[in-house]
Amino acid sequence: MPTSNSERRTKSLRLLLTVAALGAACTALGFAQTNAPAQLPNGPAKPGFDIRRFSPNGGLFKTFDVEQTEPLQNVLKDGRVAEDTPVLVTATAAGNLALLTDQMVFHHLAQGRAGGKDWMAAF
Amino acid sequence: MVPDVDGKLHHFTNVGLYDGLFVMQDAETKTLWNHIMGEALYGPLVGHNLGPVGNLLQMNVKQALAMDPKMQIAISDRIYFAGGRQFGSTGGPPNGGTRQHGPDPNAEMGGRFVPTLGKEDQRRPRMELGLGVWTSATHRYYPMERIREHGGTFIDQLDGRKMLIFVNSDTNTPAALLVNASTAKMQDGEIHLDNGAVVRDGALFDRGGKRQAMERPQQVFSRWYGFALTFPGCEIFGE
Repeated sequence: MPTSNSERRTKSLRLLLTVAALGAACTALGFAQTNAPAQLPNGPAKPGFDIRRFSPNGGLFKTFDVEQTEPLQNVLKDGRVAEDTPVLVTATAAGNLALLTDQMVFHHLAQGRAGGKDWMAAF
Repeated sequence: MVPDVDGKLHHFTNVGLYDGLFVMQDAETKTLWNHIMGEALYGPLVGHNLGPVGNLLQMNVKQALAMDPKMQIAISDRIYFAGGRQFGSTGGPPNGGTRQHGPDPNAEMGGRFVPTLGKEDQRRPRMELGLGVWTSATHRYYPMERIREHGGTFIDQLDGRKMLIFVNSDTNTPAALLVNASTAKMQDGEIHLDNGAVVRDGALFDRGGKRQAMERPQQVFSRWYGFALTFPGCEIFGE
């Protein structure tokens, strides 16, 4: 399906706004498909936390296990991202790292190790 | 966020909802965790925290490179779109990539989310969009409509420091930046501060055009319910 840059950009911005609500909009996808019980311990609970209000999503989402990174400049030159491609930027011990918003809508979590320290980004 | 507990790496997954927000679980102990504050909610690691919590900033590639030309990127095998082309090999199109409508501040919450909510703060509409900023002493929400009422940019105070609040004109997302300025004005997509500094493409430049280090408070672009349930009794800008 041919899509112009401007159309794609508009959709990307919409996506950016939609999923910005602490991931809530994205999680709806998971609930629409499965709702298997999560393996839960028998507490304890943080004061005020009510486990009866927890709703499992069946393990639909897969955390992005980051094993390699590359310079964003190179990826832009290669055409694998565009200037208007939405990204999420986090700081690691080795410097700033961008993650693609489109992908993080699915992963929600990314984990890795950089500069000798473990890091995690939650979206 | 640091996925280590007592010096040992843990592996986290999104496993469900609580207060309408996604909840993480570590594979090692099955403890449930809040994904904003990194706080253990339920399980053997209650009392632990995955801090310090860092910002996850929303921008586009152009702005990311303006912020840091040495920026790295990590790309998974999941399908994504860029420049009108499709990349990646796993999964379907990104959720939202084919949405016909942008976020609606008056949108209704999905039915599966509602039973997970605690007692809601009725001061603002549940699904309103805005910027949440917090420190150990201050928890404050900036509704998007209030930011726009101020021309899309203004200076506020955060724990005695000057803070620039603005809407990124390229991505339409709000952001906060600690600055040494008293007024801010939007002009041709740039933010001009009264100390001569300029915010351009999300990066801060001094009056001579030299890039400046940016200090950002903890912040999240959030719907009202999410921020209010995370920070009960939070301040609301303008109220």
